[in-house]
Amino acid sequence: MSVYPVGVLFSRSGGYSRPAEQGYFGALAAVSDINADNAYPFQLKVHHADPKGNADRYAELCRDLIRKSGAQHIVGCTTSWSRKEVIPVVEKLDALLWYPCVYEGFEVSENLVYVAACANQHLVPLLDHIVPRFGARAFLTGSNYIWGWETNRIARDILTRSGGAVLGERYVPIGDEDIGHLITEIREKRPDFILNNLIGPSSYAFLAAYRALGQEDPAFLPENCPVISCNLCENETTRLGENAAGHYTVSSYFRALASEENDRFAARMKADNPSQVADAFFVQAYAAVVMIAEAIRQTGSDEAQGVLEAVRSSGTATPLGSVRVDRGTNHVSLCGHIGRARADGDFDIVHHCRETITPDPFLTATPLDRLYASSGADARQLRVVR
Amino acid sequence: MSPSLAHTPNFVGWRALILHRPHQNVDALSAQCARIGITAEQAWPTLDDQDAMSGFNVLLIDADMGHDEQFPWAPGLAPIPIIALIGSEAPGRIAWTIGQGADAQLLKPIGSAGLYSALVVASQGFLRRTTQTQEIVRLKDQLAKRQVIAEATAILMLKHNCGAEAAYNRLRKTAMAERRSIERAAASIVAGFDTHGQTNVTNGR
Repeated sequence: MSVYPVGVLFSRSGGYSRPAEQGYFGALAAVSDINADNAYPFQLKVHHADPKGNADRYAELCRDLIRKSGAQHIVGCTTSWSRKEVIPVVEKLDALLWYPCVYEGFEVSENLVYVAACANQHLVPLLDHIVPRFGARAFLTGSNYIWGWETNRIARDILTRSGGAVLGERYVPIGDEDIGHLITEIREKRPDFILNNLIGPSSYAFLAAYRALGQEDPAFLPENCPVISCNLCENETTRLGENAAGHYTVSSYFRALASEENDRFAARMKADNPSQVADAFFVQAYAAVVMIAEAIRQTGSDEAQGVLEAVRSSGTATPLGSVRVDRGTNHVSLCGHIGRARADGDFDIVHHCRETITPDPFLTATPLDRLYASSGADARQLRVVR
Repeated sequence: MSPSLAHTPNFVGWRALILHRPHQNVDALSAQCARIGITAEQAWPTLDDQDAMSGFNVLLIDADMGHDEQFPWAPGLAPIPIIALIGSEAPGRIAWTIGQGADAQLLKPIGSAGLYSALVVASQGFLRRTTQTQEIVRLKDQLAKRQVIAEATAILMLKHNCGAEAAYNRLRKTAMAERRSIERAAASIVAGFDTHGQTNVTNGR
């Protein structure tokens, strides 16, 4: 039986290890499922490299995975910073990077498959849901790198074009937990909501401090001024408990999504590893491996361009639904569900997206003037009545 | 950050002209164009109808083989943004693209990225340059008109037998009353001033 190597490039330690480990476990779970499935007349062999959260290690480790283990496919990278480091390597060696994390967009590489949302699939539906309900005066925050900068810039663009306002915008270094100044400023500025693009420990510290603020001043309780995120998922909310409860996340996948397939998938993942929380980061990496395996099954080879052509030509059934790679952008159509975190870490689905959103990484087809200015103002008044 | 940069740039509906011989680089550029909503056309060495060139929104020129005769305008006077496609980084070729008004560059071989940044930079650069040129014309014009204001002030000093400050105030009030710029008010005072046939004595010098 043929054995095809698959490179897995995730950091299991460092400033964003929780979502990164989700990617790692998702990829491994999928490989184990594929190898146990007789429908695939081959085995996948995982070669893992751990950059330990150091962006400068990614390119070198990716090169090793391709050259030494012969992997044509690398599933990996969590931050945009690390992805940018890997792109020149996969382009030069004509391998494929399967990138399974939400990111800010404005990129299309011929040697990448983007198996997660870009801004028109996460930020836009999130603001569309939140602004009419809470108002259009935002406070923007993020970790000090491209994800936060660009996601906040797009939010500012949308809000200012749509009659809203940005009351403040603050960044903290990745891993920094000193966020007292953020809380002070938010308390002064009194926004309608906070867009949180912090990652890892900064995000957890912020949510804890923000909960304390809400207990002092009810204006900052989640029902009055929620924290909204594009990347805060179950693996993190489960550990955050009350600190995340009531706040909102947009995602292509929630464990709580009600469908037979998803119930079966979630139950199976839990049975395999009871402490495992399969969230979007997990499922997107899982879906990437399934797409690779399905394309190898169809083409009889793991050659990168052949696999890419196969996943562009037909949809693959994954826990994200049927996923097909858009020929023009190498991105996939995805749903933008909105969830409100519960204290147990799961999400109540407050908006169940029924039709997938076509990827628009350069925001050329997505109107950025969202026409919800007046409804936002109404929502603020209704809030007083409620 | 300037307001125009805070906006997400959008190039949907733009037409790009790639002046480059048929090549993989052109294919890669066309693919990048399609992705961001731009229609690309290729021509080499120039368009049959050179005047149609100004109907495009952006021009991509070849630093390696390009020459002045490809364009219907003098070097530096292109009415649209220009991006240079650079293979050989020879200083002479780079200087040629600068002379043409290329505000952004893409290095060959062209891969799957780069055009978007080049477009943002080139279109911003072009906008800044044309705005500055217009501003310079306006300022030069204003500077030239200071002569008229000085003359009008002198005339009013003579006519009303007053000092320079009083005369200038009078000129300013006239302009305000007539709702026009001080330069235009001054020009009509100078034009209407009867010198009674006297002109500056030049004694034929």
